[in-house]
Amino acid sequence: MSDPRYEVYEAGLIGEGMHEPPVLPAGLRRSPSGVDGLRTEHLVVNMGPQHPSTHGVLRMLVEVDGEEVVNAEASIGYLHRGIEKLAEHRRYDALGTLMDRGDYVSGIMGELAAALAVEQLLEVEVPRKAHWLRSLTSELNRIASHLVWYGTFGLDTGAMGQFLYAMRDREAILDILEAISGQRMMFNYVRPGGVVRDLPPGIDAKIRAFVDGFENVYLPEHDALLGGNEIFQSRVKGIGVITREQALAFGLTGPNLRASGVRYDVRANRPYAAYPELEFEVPVGETGDAWDRYLVRMEEMRQAARLIRQLIDGMPEGPHAAKVPKVLRPPAGEVYAAVESSRGETGVHLVSDGSEHPYRFHYRAPSLFALQALEEIVPGHLIADVVMIIGSTDVMMGEIDR
Amino acid sequence: MLRVADVERLVAGIEGAAASEERLGIVVRVGRGSVEETLAQLKVAGFNWLVDLLGTDTGEHVEITYHLRSYEAGQDVFVKTAVPYDGELASVWQICPAALMPERETAELFGLRLSGHPNPKRLLTTDGVEPLLRKDVAVRTPEEFRR
Repeated sequence: MSDPRYEVYEAGLIGEGMHEPPVLPAGLRRSPSGVDGLRTEHLVVNMGPQHPSTHGVLRMLVEVDGEEVVNAEASIGYLHRGIEKLAEHRRYDALGTLMDRGDYVSGIMGELAAALAVEQLLEVEVPRKAHWLRSLTSELNRIASHLVWYGTFGLDTGAMGQFLYAMRDREAILDILEAISGQRMMFNYVRPGGVVRDLPPGIDAKIRAFVDGFENVYLPEHDALLGGNEIFQSRVKGIGVITREQALAFGLTGPNLRASGVRYDVRANRPYAAYPELEFEVPVGETGDAWDRYLVRMEEMRQAARLIRQLIDGMPEGPHAAKVPKVLRPPAGEVYAAVESSRGETGVHLVSDGSEHPYRFHYRAPSLFALQALEEIVPGHLIADVVMIIGSTDVMMGEIDR
Repeated sequence: MLRVADVERLVAGIEGAAASEERLGIVVRVGRGSVEETLAQLKVAGFNWLVDLLGTDTGEHVEITYHLRSYEAGQDVFVKTAVPYDGELASVWQICPAALMPERETAELFGLRLSGHPNPKRLLTTDGVEPLLRKDVAVRTPEEFRR
């Protein structure tokens, strides 16, 4: 070896200022601190967009000092379809189809946000039954969405089995939703004025059977399988702490906000659909770590099952939709409507100019705000924990990129 | 429940700020230069939660809407300001960190320059993509795009 650098390495003589590599490749930066005279280099690790644990097409640029993350940046836009621009060329009753493709695992709630905004503009009175059907499908969809989170969160820790159990239960819900709406994921069920159709005969027995099994057997089983696992607990407890102040400052909503101890739920604080008539609890966490976010979502599934039971028992009679014109031309104006989707406050900010197309359609995606909080939360953690923290916030790239 | 008069009092010292009750809720319209001051004053009054930030192409300028919320009062206030086309969007991230990504998105989709932002890069699209949400940018089919 003629290179003198190797000789000093071998002799253990390397010290401060003994050699400097002439030019560092892009992405490499000298660390200001050295360990025993040896310098460590910061390395930028590119996670994604095809990384199995980034839940869709999220690309995280993680700058690491050894195992520890010193800086994180989310690079997004891989799923950008221009939903907001496309909406300006759609009719008002077709906005739900775009919302379905935003947050694609909880489509009903997105559709509902768009429908509520259009109804606010139209000042149309929605029949009571439509409200109840909207809540019923929303809660079914919430369980399905939380099960996807539960399954993939387990995958992030390396657990495979519980993912399959979660998908089994999700299939049961998708079958029910398919019977109700005709579709498994892109429902297009909630429209301005009400819902597309009434419940098919015999579906209430199916829903009841599912809720009985889910509440009494499957959900405790899920909780025991993942949450009762000591390895899982030691993996998630204490990581990714989002304080109450940070959560509010970064605009978090939904389970992520509630895990930080803020009791805010659109269903309780600004009730819509049938929620004013229903009884449910809003679970909150204490410390705001990944474990609290797990507990809050598990409790939300329990509450959703409780809501479904109430909704099936008290389902009113009557029409399932108000009479609205075929082509909607809401008067000019600007409104904001929000729902509590499974990821937080999904809002639609709608500007009408009186024509049959929206003038401006803005989709407030709760995951976008959770994602920008991640950039603040992740530094200081080990690189293996990054995957866990992303998983615990349940970000959905479909609605972030829109 | 806050009324327009209460919000007017909160923003009384700010030049050109006018509060009004609209369909959307309570809307405060301010000049471009006093946005930061308005948000800071409202933040002291409890509106510390930036729910949303969006732009609208009104045909004359880009209207930026800051959607604020007070958790304690359970109420929303919308702050609106006008930014000329190709103008400068001053970042408010130091008052509301939640504005970091929505500001990048709004600036790129309306063709505005972002100033005072720690990371003023594009968020969703790559370099060279037109400001998509401007009304003078048309939606094209892939065939039209290739031509």
